Amino acid sequence: MKELLKELCLTDGISGDESAVRELIINKIKDVCEYRVDSLGSIICFRKGRKTPAKKLMICAHMDEVGFMITSVRGDGTLSFGTVGGIDPSVIIGRQVRVGKERINGVVGSTAVHNLSKEQREKAPDTDSLYIDIGAADKAEAEKYVSPGDCAYFSSEFAELGTRIKSKALDDRAGCAMMIELLREEPEYDTYFVFNVQEEIGLRSSAVSAFAVAPDYAIVLEATTAADIDGAEGAKRVCELGKGSVISFMDRHTIYDKELYSLAFDIAKEEGLPCQTKTMIAGGNDAGAIHISGKGVRTIAVSLPCRYLHSPSSVIESADLESTYRLVRTLSKRIPEL
Amino acid sequence: MDLKQTVTALSEVHGASGSERNAAEAALEMLRSFCPDAGIINGNVTGHFGEHREGLPSLVLDAHIDQIGFAVTYITDDGFIKVGNIGGIDRRLLPAQPVVIHGKRDIKGVICSVPPHLTGGSSKVPEIDEVSIDTGMTKEELELIISQGDSVTFDVSCRELLGSRITGGALDDRCGAAAILYALEMLKGKKTAYNVTVIFSAQEEVGERGAKIGAFDINPDIAIAVDVSFAYAIGEDESKCGYLGKGPMIGISPSLSREISDGLINAAKAGNIPYQTEVMSGLTSTNADRYSVNRCGAKACTLSIPLRNMHTPAEVIDLTDVELTARLLAGFITEGE
Repeated sequence: MKELLKELCLTDGISGDESAVRELIINKIKDVCEYRVDSLGSIICFRKGRKTPAKKLMICAHMDEVGFMITSVRGDGTLSFGTVGGIDPSVIIGRQVRVGKERINGVVGSTAVHNLSKEQREKAPDTDSLYIDIGAADKAEAEKYVSPGDCAYFSSEFAELGTRIKSKALDDRAGCAMMIELLREEPEYDTYFVFNVQEEIGLRSSAVSAFAVAPDYAIVLEATTAADIDGAEGAKRVCELGKGSVISFMDRHTIYDKELYSLAFDIAKEEGLPCQTKTMIAGGNDAGAIHISGKGVRTIAVSLPCRYLHSPSSVIESADLESTYRLVRTLSKRIPEL
Repeated sequence: MDLKQTVTALSEVHGASGSERNAAEAALEMLRSFCPDAGIINGNVTGHFGEHREGLPSLVLDAHIDQIGFAVTYITDDGFIKVGNIGGIDRRLLPAQPVVIHGKRDIKGVICSVPPHLTGGSSKVPEIDEVSIDTGMTKEELELIISQGDSVTFDVSCRELLGSRITGGALDDRCGAAAILYALEMLKGKKTAYNVTVIFSAQEEVGERGAKIGAFDINPDIAIAVDVSFAYAIGEDESKCGYLGKGPMIGISPSLSREISDGLINAAKAGNIPYQTEVMSGLTSTNADRYSVNRCGAKACTLSIPLRNMHTPAEVIDLTDVELTARLLAGFITEGE
């Protein structure tokens, strides 16, 4: 799954511009299931199983990633940009990016530390003050390569850190990778798999695709903030790398189905898989839109603990990816039997 | 010599101040083709260029070979690496920054980024003692490879931007070393007006320490510190910056030799080489400050390559400026008719 994940992560696709990722995913799944692309760009797949369940199950993940959109080409040839999805300016400055359809190289510059006042050194810059430098001598040169509305992407290496993986876009290509793996084997029950778009700008396409599929049950595969870093104690660690799938009881958009929540922990126990919950109620994911879709969908979110989410250097533990995949595989068999 | 390739090769080897060996050896290898006697003396790559003739003034071409970085201070029980800074680090851009720890072997890591729920939502800039590196390894595993004092540098490779501009880390001051090497290539076989010695000096970023002892060792009459200086970019004070692509910046300062500044300006004019001036009202914060007060003193000047985003992993230069710097050095050093 690591090679698949690498390919997915290194393919660029910020919210609203997911076509390259969509194409890649379709190439991976077109031979194993029926699929269609909806009007927003989500891929809705139907995988025939050995049995047809009484109730419909949908498994989903989102294919979009956070990134940037060029808003204007300035007089000096630098580019103004807005962030697509939430990105902290401290992980934007001093980074390499790729810009536009031709993926030309750029950097997000920053005033030399020598020339900052004492106060400026202690305060992260506002995103509005940042710009992308593609090396253009002036506006005319820049306009040959870039137009407003073009996207820009983090240019960062996919690397293995011990048993961990460091990359951009692990949120949520890790979920996509697990779904592609699940699609490759015949499931026990017929299952819908949905690769959503536009999650990072507010859980948008999941509302549409959930309405279309109209499932009874949903499993949302995600990546969630792990804060098990030096200096963070107790509940503030939220969840930890290496401790397996994260099953949330509640976040800012969803109070999760209690029976599904317990089922996940039961399965984990039976199969000897590590499993944890979050020690903080925060954030949200596509479950927020899905669980209140139609007449309501019983929903569970199964997430990978991920450090430095929404940065070019997010980090996950390979073992968590494997165990989460196994947990979800069993969940998809057991949920229709409820 | 392929200038882009030289700059890239030099900037992609690591050499934080005090741990310059890899960068120094790469530069030494390149310098040997012009200065067969070159070697590393107390950390400084030093070589004599061409035939030194009796009676000529001696001139040192200096570029520093070190770069900013970190030193490992401690490994926590959870396997996080704590560090201190080597040189002027911009702490604002550290979160989620990829780094390489240079232990018994190189290990990749990421500087921890503190999520907003732990900072109360504010973008607080971490103090250096709050910086931790995540390597995916345990304390026990790390202790076999990493020791206190090992250096850490940003994990970055060079990339081409539009035109002749490139980005990378440690362009400060490997592009200066590349400019000197390129100048030597132009000077090869030519008669020089000076007995030229090259010093790629250590430990500039922690207070020009390598240049201090290199200056004493060589005792030049004239020294030119080839370094980088601020290129104008948004957020910078235009009056204190040069511009990318408009040529080397010739230093003018009360601490520098006006004679050499004028000599460089005249050489630029004579050779039709674009140049800019960099006026500083006191010390220069470059190795020139050390050469000028060495032993009985020397005539020193700075020649700076304009560079954006100094001391970040996103430094930007224009290779045209590196080439023009080399041409100016060669023009200045070549003996007139």
